[in-house]
Amino acid sequence: FRFKDSLAEDLRSADLIISHAGAGSCLETLEKGKPLIVVINDKLMNNHQLELARQLHRDGYVLCCHCSTLVETLQLMDLSTLKPFPPGQPEKFALFLDKVVGFQ
Amino acid sequence: TGGHTTEILRLLSCLSESYSPRHYVFADSDKMSEAKIRSFEQKRAETFPKSQFTLHRIPRSREVRQPWISSVLTTLYSMLYSLPLTNKLKPDLILCNGPGTCVPVCIAALLLGLLGIKRSIIVYVESICRVETLSLSGKILYYFSDYFIVQWPNLKEKYPKSVYLGRIV
Repeated sequence: FRFKDSLAEDLRSADLIISHAGAGSCLETLEKGKPLIVVINDKLMNNHQLELARQLHRDGYVLCCHCSTLVETLQLMDLSTLKPFPPGQPEKFALFLDKVVGFQ
Repeated sequence: TGGHTTEILRLLSCLSESYSPRHYVFADSDKMSEAKIRSFEQKRAETFPKSQFTLHRIPRSREVRQPWISSVLTTLYSMLYSLPLTNKLKPDLILCNGPGTCVPVCIAALLLGLLGIKRSIIVYVESICRVETLSLSGKILYYFSDYFIVQWPNLKEKYPKSVYLGRIV
């Protein structure tokens, strides 16, 4: 399982994902519409990784906990409080870039 | 590298065919980006058969958390590659998403602009992972890019010259 090329299949069949705070993991899971609990590792001083997890939590898209509180979180969680994650809009970028470059 | 390549390809996904030819520049140590790029371009060629793209590798300018003094040296080394490459390609537009690899390319473009050889428009899109703080590439290129795009409102407040379009990847 260590380094599969893609977790897409596993994600598709899962009902709940518990993940570290890596951006790729978080976003890939949210885009598939799966409920996500992000476990924050205090020992890994990877502070900028936490920014995204914190924001996603603030906006109500994911649940967050620490390794030590994972069990409690699983026992008490209410996944219905999680909001659906809207997809990004690269079309807005395309429109902006067209204006910048002069293709209108 | 990895996440950056995924983001850049998403940014490219809605661009018209006028954005051609596309030249992808990435780190020589990057094993996965080539496959992702080829896959993207292959799919694109189904809709736009005249699509053109090229791939270029340059030495990686900085490892994660490499101290800044050695980073300056490794970046200078990368510039031995990025300068002739940028001069050869003379891009009208440079689009980057923040890996260290973009810094020597952008510096090369700025240099070519100063020398009157080619003026490229530099558009920098900070990674979606950056919610409250800029990456090192971002901190540098905030001052040197033509357009600096952030994907979270916190950053727009902290960096008023940036452009905020919401989440675009």
